Amino acid sequence: MKRRQFIKKTALTSAAAIGVPYILPTGRLFATTNPPLANHVVFVLFAGGVRHQESIQQKYLAESQGVNSEGNIMYNMLDGAPPELKIVYGQDVPNGLEGAQPISPILQTSLESQGTLFPEVRFGGSTGHFGGLSSGVSGHYAFTQGLKNRPVHPTIFEYLRRFGGYKATDTWFIGNGIGNSTPLLNYSAHPDYGGKYGANFFAPNVTFGQQGHDFIEGFKTYHPEEELDPILEMRAFLNHNFMQTGGEIPNLNNTEEEKENIKAFIKETFAQKAAGQIAFPTVNDNGDLQTIGYATEVLKWFKPKVTVINMSAVDSCHENYTSYLRNLHRGDHGVGFLWNYIQNKIPEMAGNTALVVMPEHGRNLNSNGILDENDWFAYDHDSDPNSRRIFTLMAGPGIEAGLRVGTENNPIGDATDVTLTIAEILGIKDDVANAGLVNGGSMSLFDRI
Amino acid sequence: MKHLIYFFLIIILFSCKEKSYVHEVNEIDVAQNNADKNKEKTPEIFINIAYANLYQEALSANRLVDATEVVQSIGDKQVAYETLIAKMMVDPEVILPTNAEMRDDLETFVEDTYKRFFVRIPTEAEKTWWINYLESHPNLTAEHVFFSMATSNEYNFY
Repeated sequence: MKRRQFIKKTALTSAAAIGVPYILPTGRLFATTNPPLANHVVFVLFAGGVRHQESIQQKYLAESQGVNSEGNIMYNMLDGAPPELKIVYGQDVPNGLEGAQPISPILQTSLESQGTLFPEVRFGGSTGHFGGLSSGVSGHYAFTQGLKNRPVHPTIFEYLRRFGGYKATDTWFIGNGIGNSTPLLNYSAHPDYGGKYGANFFAPNVTFGQQGHDFIEGFKTYHPEEELDPILEMRAFLNHNFMQTGGEIPNLNNTEEEKENIKAFIKETFAQKAAGQIAFPTVNDNGDLQTIGYATEVLKWFKPKVTVINMSAVDSCHENYTSYLRNLHRGDHGVGFLWNYIQNKIPEMAGNTALVVMPEHGRNLNSNGILDENDWFAYDHDSDPNSRRIFTLMAGPGIEAGLRVGTENNPIGDATDVTLTIAEILGIKDDVANAGLVNGGSMSLFDRI
Repeated sequence: MKHLIYFFLIIILFSCKEKSYVHEVNEIDVAQNNADKNKEKTPEIFINIAYANLYQEALSANRLVDATEVVQSIGDKQVAYETLIAKMMVDPEVILPTNAEMRDDLETFVEDTYKRFFVRIPTEAEKTWWINYLESHPNLTAEHVFFSMATSNEYNFY
């Protein structure tokens, strides 16, 4: 072949390869909807039932305990000066008061200033944790399901994998544990979606905790060619013979390469844990902050397109208000750490990741009467109007900085809006809306501005 | 008259005599067909049976709870089960046939392995495939076969 001909053919082949349309799992070519605003989304379900008074309103003890001390204990996320009196939410001071030393802020500019805050979002479902989490990931209130059931409506992971063509390891749900049916939130029971479009899931405090140490740490890695290939051949033969019956081990359509990559991640994470090298936040004295640490390892390793992280420690508010304040402050520390880590330690995600933070629901206006060590009242979440009052905070590319949308008298936003919002950030909003499975009236928050 | 009665009694006693037969059947192994396996094992059942198959003893209740939690903490159950079984495989307590035992009589090894993991007898076609495969892969051990069986789809059903 002549050199000129060769170059011409090579150029044509390359152009054709680039131009070959990508066929989505839906059988359609390309995604037809809006251009993406960012390549990655991290959605934090924050953090187990947060009262509006101690978060957005920054009332600290004033509204809940009748103690004259107000201030912002979430200064990585929100603008506002911290309280000056009765400081109990920080770290213990040696030979001093418990919690008297607030954790230093991580972000020089709060996420509120970096992005857009919807301070008066409403939650329309029943304020239980699983229902709240399910609404957050599926964009639909869980009126017809209980615990131990997967969401009835498709999750954001399934939409993204189906309409965006993402592979399984592009989508992750990182749970704070395995209670409250949390492991069931990575995909729905919807017959047209389900596990084949589901997200990968870790409850890292279990996977890499004592149970994981006992039962999977140090698992054998088979040699790829000499051992694993024949194992896969033998298993393929067995599975083929069983195909008539049709059953298979539940899976997420991870390819063999993806499965081996997940196993490599597990192995590496145990090694890093043993070496004390997990990227935990500076303060990591509760389960949420440990979860955040492992989540950053997932982000660093897989660079997922969408990651949902579930935190829950503030739920201690049912019986201990002081603990609630400490965990709320730590939740903010964890979010600040996460955002800072993405921007400074994960170059592939820095500058092209959007962060969305929303409580799964709020908490009651009135106390349940339980007193803690400071004689402060505890609070439940029983679907009173206050427990339906939440916020949504987002920051990142294409998200206006320093914008506040909505007031108490003019609430703007619904808890189910997050699904369409994430879909818009990643460029598949129309597909998700046209599927017709999100809550009626749900909108992308961008469309509410 | 008396003699006549005796005579009839003797006639009655011997008139209907039938030869009796005793039927016997050959002993055969009764095992499940793979087509009947349509119930998925829960993680608890899977772990319990896998442990018993590999260690030839039962897993304690407390450890079963912990192991089940680990499986629940990993979204892809194939990955979870593979790591769990691969961890068992590094444990010297796992009872595996030696390579010599396996290679001395491949047919028996294949039959025993199917009974151990699938609770059934392999078909002739399956037996032939396995014997050919293992003969053509001399470096494979019982561990590799056990691992592929314990992580196969059929093993997840009963």
